[in-house]
Amino acid sequence: MSKSVLIILLIASVFFLSVFYWTVLTSFKPSNEVLTYPPRFITENPTLIQYNKLFTASNGIFLRYIGNTFVLCVMSIVLVLIQSILGGYSLSKLSFKGSNTIFLIILSIIMVPYQSLVIPLYNLLSNLGLLDTIPGLTLVYSTFYMPFCLFMMKNYFSSLPDSLRESALIDGASELKILTKVYLPLALPAVATVIVYVFLQTWNDFILSLIFTSSKEASNVQVGIMIFASSRFAQDWGLINAGATFSIIPSIIVFLLLQKYYVQGMTSGSTKG
Amino acid sequence: MRQRTRKTLLGIAFLLPVLVMVGIFFIYPLIMVVIMSFQKWQVLGGSEFVGLKNYADAITDNEFWKTLWNTIIYSAIVTPMIFVPAIFLAVVLKRTSRTTKFFRTVFFLPYAISFVAASYMWKWIYSDTYGLLNYLLNLLGMLDQQINWLGSTWSARIMVSIMVAWKTLGFSMVILIAGLQGISPSLYEAAKSDGATKWQEFRYITFPLLRPTIVLALIISVAGSFKAFDHFYIMTHGGPLKTTETIVMYINKVAFEYYNIGLGSAISVVFIGILLVISYLQLKAGGLSNE
Repeated sequence: MSKSVLIILLIASVFFLSVFYWTVLTSFKPSNEVLTYPPRFITENPTLIQYNKLFTASNGIFLRYIGNTFVLCVMSIVLVLIQSILGGYSLSKLSFKGSNTIFLIILSIIMVPYQSLVIPLYNLLSNLGLLDTIPGLTLVYSTFYMPFCLFMMKNYFSSLPDSLRESALIDGASELKILTKVYLPLALPAVATVIVYVFLQTWNDFILSLIFTSSKEASNVQVGIMIFASSRFAQDWGLINAGATFSIIPSIIVFLLLQKYYVQGMTSGSTKG
Repeated sequence: MRQRTRKTLLGIAFLLPVLVMVGIFFIYPLIMVVIMSFQKWQVLGGSEFVGLKNYADAITDNEFWKTLWNTIIYSAIVTPMIFVPAIFLAVVLKRTSRTTKFFRTVFFLPYAISFVAASYMWKWIYSDTYGLLNYLLNLLGMLDQQINWLGSTWSARIMVSIMVAWKTLGFSMVILIAGLQGISPSLYEAAKSDGATKWQEFRYITFPLLRPTIVLALIISVAGSFKAFDHFYIMTHGGPLKTTETIVMYINKVAFEYYNIGLGSAISVVFIGILLVISYLQLKAGGLSNE
């Protein structure tokens, strides 16, 4: 790497990170310092007052949104894991006439954006009595986040030898046992990718939560921030930045811890064409 | 033979959870949206078949064309903003070392956060009265006033695109790096021994061999721009004067504010068609469909 390239990269990095710095800094400023001009690049009086407002406003409704989002994440991850592990194993090791067609139909979900299906999905959830509920939103999430995960699990199982299954069959193991005791322990990196992917998608979703939920019973944290920022806190940039900071912490922690698996999974599809 | 039947039955059984979910929450809604696009829905429930009327309404609906146009312009602005830096970064960061890993993480980091958080972070930077951007530009002597960056059409389009480039170019970079790492180093050695310049290396080795990967990254990125919703909803709410209202915003408005289910469904079907055509054209342009 030449010196000039390094300098460009350093300047770009400072630019990329300064956006985060500015948000985090604002969230720790006292309210009178948030709205000063010229803006100040450090604060001598760091305070948690913005976070205090964030968590106590409307009887702590923001914590409720956070709680909802964690429940949504866990339920979506479980549902996607069940579908993609069983389905990926089936398509890779138990393939039958027609399984290729099924695989293509599932992959076509990636091409048809869920944004175009919100009207019938709204009717469907309404008819099932699942509108504005966590289970309803989870079912939608886990359907549309599943195809990429299934694709990845299938690829991962296919990279493991069939001979493992054959010898386990001779030993009299059941198919479910072969999957859970033989293949699954070897496929943990793919499982990790599924977890990161579904967590980030669910945590960061806005449009589906916005359309299919309408109350603190089920709305997620992104909708929560939007509600705060468009209600009586509209110009309260200290509070809005505190909400943004708090909401990106889980995403960043999960991403940094499991970055390796995430990148592997993301690129496994693209390099195989 | 019995072994085979057993395997097929188990194969189907293991796929059941997927089939049930896909059937109920994908195939059924997909069929329904097409059916609903031929229907008129009454306020008090019930519906009647109206043929192509909803599609005719869409074609004569100015706001539909306007939002489609807005979405296309936005995609045309944001795509080069993502890909020019992403290709540069991928080329200079393709070798794996401690330094490159650090830079890759920095540039990929914004991809992990939500569009909602990113939109508010940047909206604060763009603020006309207290914003960092106005302050810095004034400080550098490039401005002598406070500009309302999201207040006029082209400025809003460009400023939202800058945010999106910041947030998503790391993703394209990562895909491109994976593609670059698949190119055999011996090609570069051969080029070097022939006295090729850096630019010639890029022009005659990197670019042609990376083309399939670029196309894939482009499909993901352009399809993403066409689906734009969160950031415009938050940063501009479609304004000023609906000039940054995207097609997905319009679908939601027609369906959930105007309660025109038929028209909303018809636009949704057109939208699915547009995205399928985009993917098809890009696959063709990349020469992937022949492989």
